[in-house]
Amino acid sequence: MAATIPASRTVRTVGASVALGLLGLVWFAPLLVLVTTALRTGADLASSGTISWPGSWTLDNFADAWKIGDFSTTYRNSLLIAVVKVPLGVAVSALLAYALAKLDLRFRRSVMFFVFLGLTVPLYIAIVPLFTMLRSVYLTDTLAGLLPAYLAFGIPFTTLVLHQFFRRVPDELIEAARIDGAGDFRIFWQFMLPLALPALVTVAILDTVATWNELLIALIMLSSPENSTLPLGMLNFSGAFSTNHTGLSAGILIAVVPILVLYALLQRWIVGGLTAGAVKG
Amino acid sequence: MTTAIPAEAARPARTPRPTTTPPRRRPRRHRPSAWAYAAPALLVYTGFLVYPALQSVYLSLTSWDGITPDKEFVGLDNYRHLADDPVIGTAVRNNLLWTLVTILLPMLLGLALALALNSRLVRGRSFLRTVFYAPAVLPLVSVATIWGWLYNPTDGAINEALTTLGLEALTHAWLGDDSTALWATMVPAVWVRTGFPLLLYLAALQGIPRELHESAAMDGANAWQRFRHVTLPGLRPTNHIVLALSLIESFKVFDLIYALTYGGPGRSTQVLGTWMYFNVFQYYQSGYGAAIAVVITLVAVFVGIPYVLSQTKD
Repeated sequence: MAATIPASRTVRTVGASVALGLLGLVWFAPLLVLVTTALRTGADLASSGTISWPGSWTLDNFADAWKIGDFSTTYRNSLLIAVVKVPLGVAVSALLAYALAKLDLRFRRSVMFFVFLGLTVPLYIAIVPLFTMLRSVYLTDTLAGLLPAYLAFGIPFTTLVLHQFFRRVPDELIEAARIDGAGDFRIFWQFMLPLALPALVTVAILDTVATWNELLIALIMLSSPENSTLPLGMLNFSGAFSTNHTGLSAGILIAVVPILVLYALLQRWIVGGLTAGAVKG
Repeated sequence: MTTAIPAEAARPARTPRPTTTPPRRRPRRHRPSAWAYAAPALLVYTGFLVYPALQSVYLSLTSWDGITPDKEFVGLDNYRHLADDPVIGTAVRNNLLWTLVTILLPMLLGLALALALNSRLVRGRSFLRTVFYAPAVLPLVSVATIWGWLYNPTDGAINEALTTLGLEALTHAWLGDDSTALWATMVPAVWVRTGFPLLLYLAALQGIPRELHESAAMDGANAWQRFRHVTLPGLRPTNHIVLALSLIESFKVFDLIYALTYGGPGRSTQVLGTWMYFNVFQYYQSGYGAAIAVVITLVAVFVGIPYVLSQTKD
């Protein structure tokens, strides 16, 4: 790409930045047209088309979408499940990762293989027995009924990442604490967890995103609208709004903007966690 | 066990060698109490993932309809049925094609973007990285809704853009025509998936020491030679990881197909995951659905084993 005339560094910088910036714009375009569509009236959209600057602005679409999509219910349910599932999942995974990394667990390698193999197991294989299992204890169509499967399928990845971090805590540190009389649990609580705080935050965020976005289990377990999670609500919502594009766009934005904002704020942790979970080859 | 050795070696160094303290007989003592820490996660994992999975294997040997209590044992009938179910042929082909495209394109695009974003010439690199990764955090249902709307044959943005560009001849019912429907579902998948290899490649590129490039340049290597002999070898571990994780992920495809085409038009975009879902929850053939699930799982686990093994090494 080096030009025959030695281009000055500034010119090349501007050129490369503009080219990538344009690509970024194209990449982001689906979300941008969503914003302009959600902020215009239906009549304006019909007369000027999707790819045009709105002639009139309105916020009514958001109110309509919020009400008809019943987002207050689906948001509440998704928040509730995430608030219970994520800390619980991270806690049990951290204990397991600690046992694997620092407690000389017997059959350690086999346990690791057994647990990490879960990363490859698709949900499909478990959903039917899970459904009948939970139906027998009347937990289908309840939010609590989502928990067991969400926990079980989250454990392999969370344990994997936390194990990577725990391993790096020097053994000397633990030995020293032990000589000072600290037991296994105190070492876990006062040394491992604070030292692994970045990793804990990372897995918590990734777990929240995964829980927040999960469709298949929710689709199978939940049947009443009042128990719907956000992805399930979206599915019904997009059917109801299939001809009302401005309302549809507003609804999609209601569903995705919070998670995008969260991502933008916390992306440092997400990037760190994804690369940490994948560094070994 | 490579990292365990220096840690073990460090211990005797601190305990005085002379006979005042007896030397440790077993340097690595297994602690029974460790199981108390491992137990909660292992119980949940075994009870709600492993056990149901094994139960599915049993169900796949029955003709269970999913409702009545009696499960008639039919041996391998469901597996034989896989061979003469024409939708399975479509689904397997679709799965393979989908997997191939939604792995290769994101990897290539991700690598290209990572190389660009690693270059000091580009301004606003972290902002651009945020932009390119953003689709990955969206719920797939929302992604499907967005693209379903963009693809809308009468007033969707894609056809509108084509018309505006004077390419009206190319406008199309993207999701409604079985010759384009599957490809149309792959576009949002690529959109969502490119961010992940981008992040990993970027991290790997930043891990390649600058001195390697500089000394190669001093030896007279041109840009292509440096890419070929310095950059690419440095990315090899990342290639393996990205490939393994994408393979597992791509093979599980469900959300996008379910929400975008519902397996249609006709059954042209059925994949194994959706076809399993339809059999279990629409046609009440749980036994047969379980057989499909077993096949998907075997393939996914088999493909994933090298990755899992690499992660259990110390």
